[in-house]
Amino acid sequence: MEVGPDQGGTAHHGEGVGAEAPSYGFLTTVESAAHGLFGGYLVVDVLGRPLEFHCTAPVKVTRAQQILYGSTLHGHLHGRQIGAALLAESKAEPALVLTDQEAMLSVRPHTRLPVALVKRHEPQDGATGGLHVQPHASDAAREGVIRDWLAALGAAVDVCEPFERIRAAIEEAQRH
Amino acid sequence: MARPPDPTIGIRSLPAADLALGVPRILAAADLRLPLPRALALPVADATPAVLRVELHEGAPAVRSFHFSPPALGTAAPAAPADRDHKPAHRSTRRTRIAPPQDVVKLSERFFYLLQPDLETMLQAGRLEFPRQPFPFQLDGMAFLVPRHGAVLADEMGLGKSMQAISSIRLLVRSGEARQVLVVCPKGLVSNWTRELADWAPELVVAVVEGDPQRRRWQWSLPDVPVKVANYEVLVRDRDLVAGLGLSFDLVVLDEAQRIKNRSSQTSEAVRSVVRRRSWALTGTPVENSADDLVGIFEFVAPGQIHDRMQPRAMGAAVADHVLRRTKDKVLDDMPPRLNRDERIELTAEQRETYRRAEEEGVLRLADMGREATIRHVFELVLRLKQICNFDTATGESAKLDCLQAELEEVQASGRKALVFSQWVETLGRLRENLGRFGALEYHGGMSTTARDEAIRRFRHEKRHSVLLLSYGAGAVGLNLQFSQYVFLFDRWWNPAVEDQAINRAHRIGAVGAVTVTRFLSADTIEERIDEVLRRKRDLSDAILSQAEAPGASGLTAEELFALFKLAPPRSDERPDSVAA
Repeated sequence: MEVGPDQGGTAHHGEGVGAEAPSYGFLTTVESAAHGLFGGYLVVDVLGRPLEFHCTAPVKVTRAQQILYGSTLHGHLHGRQIGAALLAESKAEPALVLTDQEAMLSVRPHTRLPVALVKRHEPQDGATGGLHVQPHASDAAREGVIRDWLAALGAAVDVCEPFERIRAAIEEAQRH
Repeated sequence: MARPPDPTIGIRSLPAADLALGVPRILAAADLRLPLPRALALPVADATPAVLRVELHEGAPAVRSFHFSPPALGTAAPAAPADRDHKPAHRSTRRTRIAPPQDVVKLSERFFYLLQPDLETMLQAGRLEFPRQPFPFQLDGMAFLVPRHGAVLADEMGLGKSMQAISSIRLLVRSGEARQVLVVCPKGLVSNWTRELADWAPELVVAVVEGDPQRRRWQWSLPDVPVKVANYEVLVRDRDLVAGLGLSFDLVVLDEAQRIKNRSSQTSEAVRSVVRRRSWALTGTPVENSADDLVGIFEFVAPGQIHDRMQPRAMGAAVADHVLRRTKDKVLDDMPPRLNRDERIELTAEQRETYRRAEEEGVLRLADMGREATIRHVFELVLRLKQICNFDTATGESAKLDCLQAELEEVQASGRKALVFSQWVETLGRLRENLGRFGALEYHGGMSTTARDEAIRRFRHEKRHSVLLLSYGAGAVGLNLQFSQYVFLFDRWWNPAVEDQAINRAHRIGAVGAVTVTRFLSADTIEERIDEVLRRKRDLSDAILSQAEAPGASGLTAEELFALFKLAPPRSDERPDSVAA
């Protein structure tokens, strides 16, 4: 089901900081040369503690998909196949879903939740490093609220750190 | 001659006469090397081309889901949201992760640990302040302890084992995983523990179980006290009471856990009888004399994990995931150095004569006894000779004392402080008489707790006291005397673990400068021969804990003890496995 910001109608959960304690979703993938692409979705509370974790079986790209999707393949795999499947399994309604992969922004049409890309810039050439936040285009109007949510989380947690946990968990799952 | 058929022509020309034979005959006779073209008739109007469908979408991948239940947020208020352009307060880039122990096999449980925030985040988020910034290796120690139900923290003395345990207790209490914790320690360290708990976990309510039976019963029964501290003797006395009250603990921590190395002792049995979910042991000397010591500790930590018939290497492998040991040289780059000096002392002429006579007579006596000579007889001779090395029993002369006085003059002149260890209280008394000008104070087991605490206070705060004289038994355990920069071992102990404990009263975290350790060794005496055995014992401890090659021998066996005097060992029924320290 494709849901966009102008559809669905219901107010977004936890709009505005100060509502009941929010949760946050972290969505990413890990590529394995042997098995394919694993997806992982971690939901944490405002202190960064885990509430839910979902991971997919590996997804392998077929030759036909490579040819026929062309440059849209990444977005399709990440957003439609993996991201949508993970969000569909979750019972949580986080304030925000964060991803560290641009291709994963394409999950947005498949969820009511705002989605934003976060990336840390390392300090370079005398400039200080910082956090790059890019909401999905359809959430651009809510960028202010998104930044507020991020600030609330960032007071306790490095917002890029949970992705490391997802990668560690997926590695562990492969060993099991 | 007939022309060969033209391969470019699809139909051969047949002689007219063949046409009369009919088609089958014609075909049979025809040269079928060349395929005959087929004409296809295609309708032109209303053509619907066949469609080849290529399946692109394989459907949603299978998803595995895991749900966790952290404690209610009310137990740790979230930090106030910062402004929109907030740059998070500077965080250390180091991330100490809690890894699941090997005995956690269920994937969901392993995920529980892997998906926790790093320790630095947990501490900051939980607003757990520290009076001093923990060292990275101490955070590693906490990450080791927190997920484990059975653990031995065997860091070298002075690296902050109690701080690591206390901080881990804080995390467990804060997360709701521990509501009742019992800390068991030697009697002389109870005040140390209450001080450290107040220092490192000021928010935790602590009760010390002590006093008369009625008071202790009340203290054991206190329901809302997360941490109770009791000494080993109290636990032995109250074993039935604790069981009768139906008490159980989420965590029991044993300090100086080598106390329970003897499995059949009352102490060991009492400790093991306490109902608990987690068992942690803190000891800088998990292997004091033999591998059996570790077995004794593991009967508390993880019963059945190891047994005394295991080879050191196999034992090391079996305990690897339960034991964490770090040594100062490995973890503290900026730790002030420890400078070891072996001071080889020549006995005075009178001492030498007294020593020679005593050794000759003693050895002769042992030789006369033959097979009747026991370990105890040899032991008594060794002790007597060691005492002569300290002070001539006839004249009171002491070459060691002369040397010590000279050294202490320098210590006092530089405004520094020194610790002097001996295994005899009587020796400490004689030293005190002779070292009055240095403000020498005593600290040993014969003193009351109040007197000992007072001695420490005065030594710490009063400049005129440059020397503290301690017995190995009372003074080697748990005291923080890191303001002392000189340690003298007036006489040596039986095993290096206890000596290291003594040295580490001064050489520990917080030491203000290099610590100089002087070990007195009387030349050409039993002390030099014992020193060689002590070196071998160090190798044993390293072999088990580092899974190195097994050493040739372990402990001070009866053979080795008798070999000190080049004598044959005693009868087998009089022979213990090793000499107790």
